[in-house]
Amino acid sequence: MQVIAPSEKLVAPSHTGAQIGRDVAGVLLIIAAGLAGYWLFPDNLALLTRVIAVALMVLSLDLIVGYCGIATLGHAALFGAGAYAAGIACVNGVTEPLTLIVIGAVGGAAAGLVMGTIMLRAHGLPQLVLSIAIVQLFHEAANKASAYTGGSDGLSGLMPSPLFGVFEFDLWGQTAYLFGLILLVFVFIVLKFVVSSPFGMLCRGIKEDQVRIRAMGAFVFPVLLKMFVISGAVAGMGGALAAISTQVVGLDSVSFELSANALVMLVLGGLGTLYGALVGTVIFMGFEHVVSSINPFHWMTMVGALLIAVVLAAPKGLSGLTDRLFASGRAKGGR
Amino acid sequence: MSSVKKLLGAAVGALLAGTASVAADTIKVGVIGPFSGPFALQGKNFQAGVEAYMALNGKTVKGHTVEVVYRDLPAANPAQSRALAQELIVKDKVQYLGGVYFTPDALAITPLLKQANAPLVIFNAATSAIMTQSPLVVRTSFTTAQTTTPLGKIAVDRGVKKIISAVSDYGPGVDAEAAFKKAFEAAGGQVVEAIRMPLNTNDFSPIMQRVRSSGAEGVFAFLPSGPTTLGFVKAFNDTGLKQAGIKFFAPGDLTQESDLPALGDGALGLLTTFHYAVSHESPENKRFVEAATKAIGSPEQLSFPSVGAYDGMHVIYKMIEATDGKQDAQKAVDAVKGLAWTSPRGPVSIDAETRHITENIYLREVVKGPDGKTFNKEIETFPNQKDPGLASQ
Repeated sequence: MQVIAPSEKLVAPSHTGAQIGRDVAGVLLIIAAGLAGYWLFPDNLALLTRVIAVALMVLSLDLIVGYCGIATLGHAALFGAGAYAAGIACVNGVTEPLTLIVIGAVGGAAAGLVMGTIMLRAHGLPQLVLSIAIVQLFHEAANKASAYTGGSDGLSGLMPSPLFGVFEFDLWGQTAYLFGLILLVFVFIVLKFVVSSPFGMLCRGIKEDQVRIRAMGAFVFPVLLKMFVISGAVAGMGGALAAISTQVVGLDSVSFELSANALVMLVLGGLGTLYGALVGTVIFMGFEHVVSSINPFHWMTMVGALLIAVVLAAPKGLSGLTDRLFASGRAKGGR
Repeated sequence: MSSVKKLLGAAVGALLAGTASVAADTIKVGVIGPFSGPFALQGKNFQAGVEAYMALNGKTVKGHTVEVVYRDLPAANPAQSRALAQELIVKDKVQYLGGVYFTPDALAITPLLKQANAPLVIFNAATSAIMTQSPLVVRTSFTTAQTTTPLGKIAVDRGVKKIISAVSDYGPGVDAEAAFKKAFEAAGGQVVEAIRMPLNTNDFSPIMQRVRSSGAEGVFAFLPSGPTTLGFVKAFNDTGLKQAGIKFFAPGDLTQESDLPALGDGALGLLTTFHYAVSHESPENKRFVEAATKAIGSPEQLSFPSVGAYDGMHVIYKMIEATDGKQDAQKAVDAVKGLAWTSPRGPVSIDAETRHITENIYLREVVKGPDGKTFNKEIETFPNQKDPGLASQ
């Protein structure tokens, strides 16, 4: 890590006091925002839970795209693997929610291992094409194996048992939401450590200049593969959360559309920062929800307009925009 | 930053505005359907059916005003379906849920119904198994098995003993293949080969080659409506199979009215079975088509989901009548068990045991009308068909 540091402007001095203070504040902010959502919108908890599940997926996508610089349009393969793993386990009698999340993480990690092994053989556009091919293959596999996955009818009949034997996953969705929120915060903290670890730095280095890292003597492939597995585990947890809270797993969870949407949310929020992934998901899904209930017939136009506006006004995403505003504010403040 | 704040402000405002309480005497019905995206036309048909019913029967039942809240679900997405249903129940306080185009979406809603104390009236989603998931589901559409089964006997009656089946490889396609095979073999025919085509196929000439070399006298097909059907029918004509006298049988999804203009003369002579044709001759249908055309804007866009929605609203009105506006899902569902009425599609009733609609299935042929436009002409009626998929369970 010390070797890259001089050439790397974006490598922040990791464990300084200010940095830790900022991270603690950030986590507290996420918890506060999550609880605010709970108090402000008690009638929309199913939506908010879905936002958390997708946020986990976008976070995991950020690990690959934002930190490793690998373009992928097939990330739903990992999300779906987790969702189906948890769903199939649940239908077959494993109903404890925490166990299901672990199963989802394992399913996602396994899918990440497979996907990473294949995708990392290529670079650039062929890699992108491979990612699309993989998600299509996963989709077709889930469609074909209808005895296990329910095919295009969806896998239904999931009956997760109450959390800790007390809190039921019911119509109002309080349990599912708070469970999801705790999971999200936990994952976020872990990922913060991951991306600021030497391993995370190495990933960023690879993104900046792969040849140089190789020349340094580090192996690129195993590092990226490891990130793929971590990303798969996180996406898988998102999938498992979606499966538990919805009690149905559909083919849409391994679809190209979901993959593309996740990438749009990430770009909207800003690549390469974990906050960007969260902000993008919340803004995109919140906006989509509001305009689609105001006008269920022509809302997609509005979403398209928002995306164009954001990409033109803030090419680095919304978090990039805030950084820029802060920076210019500081400059004007004469510091 | 300020734009973000404004956006969030707008979001909060819109969400809060939705929670404002409604007049006590308004009964809300939440309708979930694909109102945008590639299936928007089907959603528009839901809306047209609902609006036609309310235009013809008034907006009040026993003094209770009925209000319909639409929610958009562009493609099969169970997670979003559940979120929309939950919001409709908890926030918008709807007493009844209706609509639902895709099966997984319906399956995502069924676990909520008991706690919500709300019945779900399905306007379309056509897989048999949905009905077994909750006792509070009533369906006014059809199932693939229901519309396909009469075809078995029809094919044999028309002298076809050997048939090849070609279906799209997804849930409804597999259902159709199984239902047809069962009915056709029961009538004494033989399915010589069963092809499952990938959903995204556009080139059907290899399939047609297999049809030709199989030596079958007819082909049974099921594909999702839209461009793929168009390609399949075109390939069937272009490769000379039609001229060679090979007969074509399919459920009516393939020749739904909104697709006929695109199919053009190539569709002439196709035999399909279905529960509803826009051309159905009855005074009820005439009234319905008039009102629904007014709601949807153009007569070419009208197709089968509209009648599912129309009858769905009839069932919901009867439920409101029986419960006198009080929220009691079980009583509401019990009240419509065995309910019989004359729908635009003909005489129908709700089966007391399965809560699925019992209806006539019609054999139709695509013919050219006096105005030069093709339409589905009903030529044979199979009265009071239940869903064989449910009856066998």
